[in-house]
Amino acid sequence: MADADGALVLQVVGLRKHFGGVQAVNGVDLAVSEGELRAIIGPNGAGKTTLFNLISGDLPHDSGQIYFRGEQISGLMPPELCRRGLARTFQITSIFRRLTTLENVQTALLTHHRRHHDLFRPARRLYRDEAMVLLDRVGLADQAPKPSGILAHGDQRRLELALALASEPQLLMLDEPTAGMAPRERHEIMALAAGIATDARLTIVFTEHDMDVVFAVARRITVLHQGAVLAEGTPVEVRAHPEVQRVYLGHRAKPAR
Amino acid sequence: MDFVTSLFPWITNGPLIVVQVMSGLSVAMFLFLVSVGMSLIFGVTRIVNLAHGSFYMVGAYLMVTLVETLPEHAVSFWIALVLAPIGVGLLGGVIEVTLLRRIYHREPLLQLILTFGLILVIGTLVLLVWGPDNKSVARPDALAGSLKILGQPFPLYYLLVLGLAPVVAIGLWLTFYRTRWGMLIRAATVDREMLGALGVDVATLYTQVFMFGSWLAGLGGALSAPTVAVALGMDGDVLTTAFVVVVIGGLGSFAGSFISALLVGELQSFGILVFPAVSIVLLFAIMAVVLIVRPWGLLGRPEE
Amino acid sequence: MRAARWLVAIAVLTVLPPLLPSFLVVVMTEIAIVALFATAFNLLMGFGGMVSFGHAAYFALGAYAAAILVKQAGWPMLLGLAAAPFAAAAGALVFGFFIVRLTHTYFAMLSLAFAQIVFTVIFKWKTLTGGDDGLLNVWPPAWLKSPLAYGYFTLAVTGLAILAMHAIVDSPFGYALRAIRENPRRARFIGVNVRRHQLQAFVLSGFFSGLAGGLFAFFNGSVFPDFAYLNKSFEPLVVALLGGVQSFFGPLAGAVGFKILETYIARQWPVYWPLFLGAAVVLVVVALPQGFVGLLQRRAWRTPTAR
Repeated sequence: MADADGALVLQVVGLRKHFGGVQAVNGVDLAVSEGELRAIIGPNGAGKTTLFNLISGDLPHDSGQIYFRGEQISGLMPPELCRRGLARTFQITSIFRRLTTLENVQTALLTHHRRHHDLFRPARRLYRDEAMVLLDRVGLADQAPKPSGILAHGDQRRLELALALASEPQLLMLDEPTAGMAPRERHEIMALAAGIATDARLTIVFTEHDMDVVFAVARRITVLHQGAVLAEGTPVEVRAHPEVQRVYLGHRAKPAR
Repeated sequence: MDFVTSLFPWITNGPLIVVQVMSGLSVAMFLFLVSVGMSLIFGVTRIVNLAHGSFYMVGAYLMVTLVETLPEHAVSFWIALVLAPIGVGLLGGVIEVTLLRRIYHREPLLQLILTFGLILVIGTLVLLVWGPDNKSVARPDALAGSLKILGQPFPLYYLLVLGLAPVVAIGLWLTFYRTRWGMLIRAATVDREMLGALGVDVATLYTQVFMFGSWLAGLGGALSAPTVAVALGMDGDVLTTAFVVVVIGGLGSFAGSFISALLVGELQSFGILVFPAVSIVLLFAIMAVVLIVRPWGLLGRPEE
Repeated sequence: MRAARWLVAIAVLTVLPPLLPSFLVVVMTEIAIVALFATAFNLLMGFGGMVSFGHAAYFALGAYAAAILVKQAGWPMLLGLAAAPFAAAAGALVFGFFIVRLTHTYFAMLSLAFAQIVFTVIFKWKTLTGGDDGLLNVWPPAWLKSPLAYGYFTLAVTGLAILAMHAIVDSPFGYALRAIRENPRRARFIGVNVRRHQLQAFVLSGFFSGLAGGLFAFFNGSVFPDFAYLNKSFEPLVVALLGGVQSFFGPLAGAVGFKILETYIARQWPVYWPLFLGAAVVLVVVALPQGFVGLLQRRAWRTPTAR
């Protein structure tokens, strides 16, 4: 089911999910090609995080299909998805607080290489070098021995990025990766992610509220509104889309850069 | 069919079945009293009171003492039956005010450990006060005998328990659904903060709820005293069974406790006929199934 | 250096026992057994984040397996002891399968319920377990019978067992277990099958608890149903709390302190011992200003080799 842009890494067809009386995700179709940097934006309540949770196996969906690298992944649990190459980060930083920064990444590498049933080998030295490489890549090499819980917020999010990367994913889903960061830091981390993506032929899908970041980094944008796709296209196309302007960007239509 | 009748020779014995069902109902009654108290306390205060079995035991032991010390009179038994649960309610009040109040805001784990510790404390105190020997409470003369039901003997005392069951159930229902206090309790199980914000004295409500729950457990113990050997170790037995009842019915659900107590009571009653150990295993099997399929019980609410 | 400290400790433990009065050797043996039990328990609590209120079940399963095999089936003591942890592990596998599906409150309560079931089964199955009377004359063979001999034996066995658990905690398995403790959701997303891993930890914990039970059976010379009762389940919890749940050797330290207290109090006033235990725990809970998490966090932040 590939199209001109290359193989489809993620495809979502007619996805629906309701909570009580609310239709949180209402028939979403999505197709993400390999190597894309896709942003999913929309006002609060548009269904972005729910969509993420549906795709990443955190929530069961009501109807629709989800394909990852051509295979149906509906109903698969997170550990299985991780093994297949789908990784994600969370809106609220989700790391292993009382483990050191280094141990965090080492653990992720251990589990990625399916070594975590090993009972008697000391883990301290395992994947130490690879972990340091990853930490260096996200700019945390000097924080390695510290308990991750005391790291600054921005550093914790970098660590979470490293954790996700440890499983050598094909698709990286970042849920509000810049939440809680100062503006400069936001661009830094997104540039970091984008750089890693290009190097590793990784596909990234992320949700974001900061429009500057979105338009600077994303190559394609999907706009959600009330659980359905409102518009999709390149940043230029989306910015010019009348519906998007009306619903999301509001009355202050930003001047084109 | 022959295979079945050889395993369960009583299965064609209609009257025996009826009597077993009825005695199962009275067992269910004791369980219900303990479970609904535990469920109630959890529903409002979010504390699982592991010492609830201990309250039951204290109720039984208080019955022993009261029946022994009160003058020989037909009415004495009934006075004791009224006073013993009140004693337990007061004990619950003391515990709530001095200890539980300080830990409401703490992790559930700590709360559990505290109530676990209370089991040891209360158990030892009971040992110290009443000694290690088994005690018993004589049934009141009026209810000492048995009645023939369908040709089978059935103890009169159990009839009392059965007769009290609807009274208690209706009384509880009226309390929860027809009084203002009951409405506050139901509101508290749904949203405590809101209740506080509305100006209700939540702290006092908690104390009252805990005392009421303890009172119920004490009533269960006092009622059961004439039917069992009053002994140390009652607390553990009751706690386990009550826990099974509460898990199956759902922590925090009144109706759940009721239905589940019936189920467990009948199982225990029939289990004795088959093979005592079987009833435990069967009970545990059902609880296990419930925990897998619907962990918050038949009528409970999922844990946050 | 750390290695030097261990060598000194081992040297002391090797040389000291013959110099001690027999009574203290016995206490030392008991400390070792309690330390083993509490360390096994803490594998689950401190490192796995799962608090069991019914760990006496596995201690009792181990003790009774050893006793029954020796008394009813005529097995030699060493084989009986070897079987003990496996019997306990089997129980942990069956019970744990259900218990790990739950969290926190329900986890604790279900584990308590299973312990009660073990207790009741032991109590009622008189023909196999001796019921209330227990099984008596469960002694080690002549060459291990003296307090000194059994003391050395116990030290050796518990030493090896604790060493094994230490290796487990520092292994990839242990890392993943701690990750689960910290953040089960995140653990799933790095590919860990959380329930399965927790069950494995549960079985391991049960295994070593059963070993402690087996050792105790021959130490005590008899087994009784109350090996599975609430009081016994409480013991590793108190010991671990006392010594510190966040460090591996905390329970060991706690065992020493606990036994000293018990020797003083339980021997003088045996009836009051559970009262003291319960009251102590109640007071500790009420008096700890920040509870577990605060206690754990403070320790973790302070030590550079935080676990």
